[in-house]
Amino acid sequence: MQADRSLDCRGMACPMPIVKLSKAIKEMSQGQILAVSADDPGFEADVRAWCETTGNQLKALESEGEIRTAYIAKS
Amino acid sequence: MSQAQEKQKILYIATHGPGDPERATLPFVLANAALSMGVEAVVALQGDAVWLGVKGTASHVFAGGLPPLQDLLDGFLELGGRLLVCSPCIQHRKMDSQVLIPQAQVVAAATLTSEILTAKAVLNY
Repeated sequence: MQADRSLDCRGMACPMPIVKLSKAIKEMSQGQILAVSADDPGFEADVRAWCETTGNQLKALESEGEIRTAYIAKS
Repeated sequence: MSQAQEKQKILYIATHGPGDPERATLPFVLANAALSMGVEAVVALQGDAVWLGVKGTASHVFAGGLPPLQDLLDGFLELGGRLLVCSPCIQHRKMDSQVLIPQAQVVAAATLTSEILTAKAVLNY
């Protein structure tokens, strides 16, 4: 999936991937896609919870080894 | 995000200081996450946790598996988190409010009770 912006949160501990993606998506326009990669084991559950609470849309979640990449559309 | 969600507030009551880095850090982990989800977050420092509000202390607190406390405290304040410090707790420790970081607000029991009553959830660490 193509993204308008990418964020590398590999190596960051909880809650930093969520903090970083939240800041990044505020700078984006509605409908744009943010790709966030992280290797924190809780990231997948966190990004799902973050999207559910904030109303942004999780379009896809890809896995490559321990790295998860979430594609989020800004609502 | 709905307006109802924007009005939600979580209060974290921290009671552990630099002597227990993990318990000292965890309230700020949760508070940063809450703020990033559009939820208002307030951290109240009581007991030994008041040391975390002293200028320069947070930079010496490191818990395994968690970001450094100073980073979390900076992020918490940058995202609009409010930091409350228990008045009798600093008096008991002969601490002058001037030693606290400027963003810290010294409060007593009635203020904290009001924060508790207006919070959606209160967590005690």
